[in-house]
Amino acid sequence: MRRPLFTVYRKELRDALRDRRTVLMIFIASVLTGPLMLVLMAQFIASQQEKAANPKVLIAGQERAPELVNFLQRHDVEIEAAPKDYESRIRQGLTEAVIVVPMDFGEKLAAGEAARVDLVFDDSRTEAGPAINQAERLLRAFNQEAGTLRLIARGVSPDLMTPVRVERMNTATPRQRGALILFIFPVFAILAPMLGGMTIAIDSTAGERERGSLEPLLANPVPAPEFAVGKWLAAWSTACAVAMLTLTGFAAATLLYAQKKIPALQAIGAPELLQFVAVLVPFAALTSALTLLICTFGRSYREAQTYMSYLVSAISFMPVVVLLSGMKDAAWQLAVPMLAQQTVLGRVMRGDALGAVDFLVPAAVCFAVAAACVAGVARQLSDERIVFGRA
Amino acid sequence: MIETRDLAKRFGAVEAVRQVSFTAPDGAITGLLGPNGAGKTTTLRMIGTLVTPTQGIATVDGIDGARQPLAVRARIGVLSDARGLYMRLTARENIAYYGELRGMDPGAVEQAVKRLAELLDLTALLDRRTDGFSQGERMKVAIARTLVHDPPNILLDEPTNGLDVMTTRSVREVIRRLREAGKCVVFSSHVMQEVSALCDTIVIVARGRVAAQGTAEELLARSGRANLEDAFVELAGEEAAA
Repeated sequence: MRRPLFTVYRKELRDALRDRRTVLMIFIASVLTGPLMLVLMAQFIASQQEKAANPKVLIAGQERAPELVNFLQRHDVEIEAAPKDYESRIRQGLTEAVIVVPMDFGEKLAAGEAARVDLVFDDSRTEAGPAINQAERLLRAFNQEAGTLRLIARGVSPDLMTPVRVERMNTATPRQRGALILFIFPVFAILAPMLGGMTIAIDSTAGERERGSLEPLLANPVPAPEFAVGKWLAAWSTACAVAMLTLTGFAAATLLYAQKKIPALQAIGAPELLQFVAVLVPFAALTSALTLLICTFGRSYREAQTYMSYLVSAISFMPVVVLLSGMKDAAWQLAVPMLAQQTVLGRVMRGDALGAVDFLVPAAVCFAVAAACVAGVARQLSDERIVFGRA
Repeated sequence: MIETRDLAKRFGAVEAVRQVSFTAPDGAITGLLGPNGAGKTTTLRMIGTLVTPTQGIATVDGIDGARQPLAVRARIGVLSDARGLYMRLTARENIAYYGELRGMDPGAVEQAVKRLAELLDLTALLDRRTDGFSQGERMKVAIARTLVHDPPNILLDEPTNGLDVMTTRSVREVIRRLREAGKCVVFSSHVMQEVSALCDTIVIVARGRVAAQGTAEELLARSGRANLEDAFVELAGEEAAA
């Protein structure tokens, strides 16, 4: 027997695909935002790494500090004379950091006193951060070397000055570096099904009410759950399609471009993408059911859109909470939608080992919540109040 | 056949329908005539099972809508107050959607669309999207959608509202042909001429009650007035004063 829900499903999909708004949304979500962002970030991170690999400092008055210049040259640091108007250039963000050598530098250094150098920078500019750190690190190293030489000249062991010697050992694998990009990727992947299912969810509920097509539709001899399930399946399908397109866009951007710039992305391949799919398909079931339920309360397209913007901002805020609260991975997180997806996808990106439970628990929670939401939609649709209060 | 007995509906403190009883037989057009807000739309919604009566009973071919809503819906076609179409779908797709929802097989749907398009003079428009349609063309598609399953009972809520003269005439013609085919047609209107031109029985509804019912002649005789409009004012006013 042909069930009405399949008729509803086919009609909603056909209707949505003829809607320019939906198609545009899919295009923006999948083709533009994500991959474009990835390419830009890859570019940024790569240029940062390049800066770190080829250190360079700007010095004003290098002729007054031959010792410093000598030190920097020995450490393969490229030295450039600072432009005259360096202060205003720094303020405008054109120059990142400048080491300024005062007139009495050589004199004081030779006398064994503390010779002053100025490091001029504007730390409100985040992009200047690495350059500032680098200049500071180099000056500290020079300081240490000069100090050591003074102690040796006086017959004192330099070890007296260094009760603790810090050796840096980074346990992050190459893949874990570029942590920011590993964090952004899941955020986009989580938002994609939300955005993908939204237009159709609004159109097939509040949109029907606004157009006045809901009352005649409900007058058909079809039980309300058939409508609810059909509409939900349609929203779920588009949500999945958009999520898959977004992933494809990301994968293309990664393979064609970003991997060459960021070693962290080199380990991302087909298995990782499949894990993303395994996380996102059940999640899309939840988001589409939830948006459908929320939009059922809207009497007009605009009203439903307002409700949705609340939801989307709340959800976009979630990753920031995770990031700033310094939350550690824990088992209970798998039972919390959003948090679970964020956690699991983050671990996929880091290349951590994942078990079946990491996929099954979040999926079970998603389907349970989705079922409750769809039941809620069916209840709304069979409530007589739905035919009143048309905007 | 549609029957209502002491039908009433209350929304909170508002009594939209207080007491509506009438019988609409097969092969006849029954008109609900009343001013705006008299309770006509709510009455039709109760017959169509979209709204549950607070009191009384509405039956379609003897089936109680409150108990078996789906069975009632299967036996009626409703042109409701809200009659929006899907703008991105063609006229054919709009009509076929309802046919499929009612479980008709594709062949039957196709035949029904063809038959209705001829009846309503829609054939040339069938494969165009409805967003460019005039109000009259939209109404015709909505009527075709209502009739796609060839229902024995038909509810039409103000079917000529906002239509031009030509379209109104063709809609009336369709309603007459439904009567000839032996259907039970109930339609509501606040326009006197509309009702007098079409209906076998007129049910005057005012403030949620049936003020009077009968043929046009009976109503004239009862009110003692010369024309139907005066009769309507007299009869509806009587109820309002009571």
